[in-house]
Amino acid sequence: MINAMYIHLQGIKTALAVRMAYRADFFISIIIMLAVEGITPFVTYLVYKNGASLPGWSMYEVLLIQGIFLLSRGISFPFFFGIVWNTIERVREGTFDLLLIKPRSVLHMAIITGFDSEDLGKLIGGIVLFTAALVNIPFPGLFQWLMFGALFLVSLVVMFGFGLILSGLGIVWVANFRVYEIFFSLANFGMYPANIFSKMLQTFITSIVPVAMLGFIPASVLLGRPAEGTLYAVVVSFVFLFLSLLFWKAMLKRYNSAGG
Amino acid sequence: MRDKNFNQVKNLKRQINILKATALTTYKEWAAYRSHMAVSVLVGPVFFLVQVFIWNAIYSTRETVTGLTLNQMLVYFGISAVIGYLTYDSSDMDLQMLIRTGKFITFMLRPVTHSYFAFSQKLGHRILALWVEFIPVYLLFLFVFKINLVPANIFWALVSITLSFILVFLTNYCIGITGFWLTKTEGLRRAFLVLRDICAGVFVPLTLFPDLMQKVLFFLPFQFITYVPIRVFIGSYELAGIKMSIPQIVGLQALSVVAMYLVYKLLWHLGTKRFTGVGA
Repeated sequence: MINAMYIHLQGIKTALAVRMAYRADFFISIIIMLAVEGITPFVTYLVYKNGASLPGWSMYEVLLIQGIFLLSRGISFPFFFGIVWNTIERVREGTFDLLLIKPRSVLHMAIITGFDSEDLGKLIGGIVLFTAALVNIPFPGLFQWLMFGALFLVSLVVMFGFGLILSGLGIVWVANFRVYEIFFSLANFGMYPANIFSKMLQTFITSIVPVAMLGFIPASVLLGRPAEGTLYAVVVSFVFLFLSLLFWKAMLKRYNSAGG
Repeated sequence: MRDKNFNQVKNLKRQINILKATALTTYKEWAAYRSHMAVSVLVGPVFFLVQVFIWNAIYSTRETVTGLTLNQMLVYFGISAVIGYLTYDSSDMDLQMLIRTGKFITFMLRPVTHSYFAFSQKLGHRILALWVEFIPVYLLFLFVFKINLVPANIFWALVSITLSFILVFLTNYCIGITGFWLTKTEGLRRAFLVLRDICAGVFVPLTLFPDLMQKVLFFLPFQFITYVPIRVFIGSYELAGIKMSIPQIVGLQALSVVAMYLVYKLLWHLGTKRFTGVGA
């Protein structure tokens, strides 16, 4: 375990060193990442500033959901979601083969070599938005914080599940970076209060593909009004991760080297 | 005089042949990856579905938002999505890659300018997108979501979308040209694209912005990329309290294309002077 963590840290160090070759572009990219992630909260702000609202939800409550979503992405995207880009790029170039011959698990190597430093901008954005929303709502109690902490970890589990599915797709669907768009289009449902969606969709985002866990469910606990079916969504999240892992392994078996 | 006219016709024919050949090659090249493009058939409607629920919830307590009804708001997002498929451009990324890798040098030796080559490529790429992305998503919006995507005046809508097509190319190409000064410009490129899309009204209608910002946006060229074609499509134009007729705003859009062309010419002139490619 310690050895695995040491290798992971080495991967992060190497990725940062490579990225620092173009420092100006790196810092611009981090700021841009912040700006890109600010679009949805900005639209929410504009809607509320024009006197409109999502019924039953104040602006800061909605921003809290979006802040938690961003926080979850801010941790997952740099530290393990880079597996998606890394896999697609390596399969396209033919260098995915190199991961197969390393004396470590292919999955671990794909994660380590996929550290994405630019996405740390998302983490900064998440912290800022989360804090800004939090100071404008009644401060949560200790139990709410504990529940939130547990659910936030589950949101990372769901993120990892998505990472595995997209990476698995990248193994067989050569050079298609648009798989990210599939994720974003689905994840969009987790950035808003679930009660604005139809019953069928609410069931879908909590009990089938648990995207509500990415923002809405942890935020609901922090706001002191837990979402319906939270426990069920937690179980589904772990099942989702398990199935994603199976999917990734099945795709790996189907990998055909491009011989780059 | 006759010889001069003959040469002009011959040159025009040659340019058209280059355009056709490049567009056709790009079309064939990208047709191999048509499944990548077809992702839009899933992603576009899913994104739109979220918008439908959000705006339905918002409008459940009011009739209008900044003067737009629920139906108009959904039409806005529907048109924005489908116009995006027609005008999408990646010339900035392509040009910057060529400059960074030094491969641009081969274009300095070719009997055709890179900008014309890139424009022809875009044309071929978008013709493919017409049937892989635009038509399927258009039909889904029309029949599944029941969004009225019929332009108020088809002539002006086509003119406006064509001008937007050229404007997106020119603005992106200018960003690509910055690669002559900056070694790696991915960050700047993304910054520009975000700023462009916000100011163009891709994410929300520009009338939702504060008054002061609307006034600033009125004088920037970005509104002509998305906001203006959508308003032309709908059949009415208003921004920052300024109402204009459709021919007037399309006329302004044409002027912005000319202005952007001049900016491109200037940047190109300055940028190519800086280029040094070794053994690409």
